[in-house]
Amino acid sequence: MPLQSRIDALTRIRHRLAEFPQAVALVSFLAVFLFFSFAADNFLTSVAISNILSFTSILGIIVVGVAMLMIAGEFDLSVGSTFAVASFVFALTMNAGLPPFPAMVIAVLVSALLGAVNGLVVIRTGIPSFITTLGTMLAYRGIARAIGGGDFAKYIKTKPVLFSILNGPIEPLNRLFQPVANFRVSILWFILIAGIMSYILMQTQFGNWVFATGGNPGAALAQGVPVKRVKLIAFTLTGLLTGIASVMQFAQRTSVDPLRGGGWELIAVAASVIGGVQLTGGVGTIFGACVGILLLQMLEQGLVLMGISVQVFRAVAGLILMLSVILNTFLSRPT
Amino acid sequence: MSDHRHSTPIVRMEGIVKRFGTITALDGVDFDVYSHEVVGLLGDNGAGKSTLIKCLTGVHTPEEGQIIFEGQPVRISSPREARALGIECCYQDLALVNQMSIVRNFYLGRELVRRLGPLHWLDIREMNRQTCEALRDIGIVIRSPSEKVGSLSGGERQSIAIGRAKHFGAKLLILDEPTSALSVAETRKVLAYTQAAKERGLGVIFITHNVHHVYQVADRFAILRHGKLVGTYEKGEVTEEDIADLITGERER
Repeated sequence: MPLQSRIDALTRIRHRLAEFPQAVALVSFLAVFLFFSFAADNFLTSVAISNILSFTSILGIIVVGVAMLMIAGEFDLSVGSTFAVASFVFALTMNAGLPPFPAMVIAVLVSALLGAVNGLVVIRTGIPSFITTLGTMLAYRGIARAIGGGDFAKYIKTKPVLFSILNGPIEPLNRLFQPVANFRVSILWFILIAGIMSYILMQTQFGNWVFATGGNPGAALAQGVPVKRVKLIAFTLTGLLTGIASVMQFAQRTSVDPLRGGGWELIAVAASVIGGVQLTGGVGTIFGACVGILLLQMLEQGLVLMGISVQVFRAVAGLILMLSVILNTFLSRPT
Repeated sequence: MSDHRHSTPIVRMEGIVKRFGTITALDGVDFDVYSHEVVGLLGDNGAGKSTLIKCLTGVHTPEEGQIIFEGQPVRISSPREARALGIECCYQDLALVNQMSIVRNFYLGRELVRRLGPLHWLDIREMNRQTCEALRDIGIVIRSPSEKVGSLSGGERQSIAIGRAKHFGAKLLILDEPTSALSVAETRKVLAYTQAAKERGLGVIFITHNVHHVYQVADRFAILRHGKLVGTYEKGEVTEEDIADLITGERER
């Protein structure tokens, strides 16, 4: 029957595509990219592109952690608050007279600790991470407000070399463009971190355990995978990466306000889901999640360039999120 | 009774008691398995089958009683320890991770790793090769080791779990409801793999509700009811109907 064979062929293509969870993200990315290339005059310029990449890199480092954690079957809604705490710790320790490098180490370690607390609560109490980290999202935000006295924290001395290493402009590259572009070092850190995490997930034993823990914790446990330890490490890594993103952003802006990072937890989840990471765990790629966050940042900047209200961004982002989920669900549906 | 049972059993569980709060899930159960045999572990829902097996695989620790593995008393306090002894479980839903490939499932928890200084990475090529070889050895042909387990049929999944257990030198294979939800043809295959495992010298515990399936492959039947062992019977001693009656308690022997 020709019709039947055509349906079979389509099903086979669908299954092939389902093997690549990032496929939907790539297609949507290209579509949005092409749209802005035509619709926004100043979109295909070095300034716009470099801005998008620089913005993406900070959030992207958080997304790398969040996506990995979601593959392990858990959520972290507290990353936005953790981000704020890390920036405040960085600022306040430096203002208290600590040199930048130890201050940075402390800020990142505090972040990792906050992530570890999330993990410990989840594995000890069995409370779903969605609820646990909803709680710590509020709690950590409170910590950020408390240590900052509810006010801004600024670093007013001259920028140390560390700041340029963390997130300075890449001058030799920027000067190649006319007008001068805004490529920043954070882009390189982001690519490096995403690459390392991809490698860990796809090529190491720990990565295999992350997928197994998220896919079927019972089976993983039965095969001797220390499921709780894997989750604890995943939570801690997410906190650590959030801290790294935070000190990087602070190195550029040299100030932090108490609301910093608010809402990013959901953007990070949205980027991961658009990139093909499944909410139920066990499926996804870092590459896909990175395309997801790049897509969202491109969307926001593109709409700004078109002179369209930022409010529209949320509507379009929500639409793309739902379309991606529907498409991904369709692709991975069993025959 | 066959001759091999004059030797020491692979595992002997003696007087196992397991309580959950005020509920006594297992009340002094004795149970043993020898090599070269399939023991059917039967009982109604809540009779204590899975609790007994979880005591053996280190998921639960019994309050009383002891477990003797190959003549040595042992304490099994984690699935990892159970596996180190050579006890392998093929749970229906807990055997494989559907979202992962055959080879990643096959080596889950004991991945082959290459090292260079502090770096290490999975030796996927070697794992692919050995997975195909191991499965072919026991008559299982797969399309590709990188195929997702979720796209396989229930019987294929069971066979991969059994193949994995054999490959990693299991002495005792625990099959939990291996034939439920399988087609007739697939059930036949799984029963054949069970038979093959026994012929290779493994001891097999076959947990099921389905008297008909277990009757075809088991040498002995251990029947649990309300956390107590009703009895252990040789295949020749009882008919399928007898077993069904013993499970429900309509008859006592």
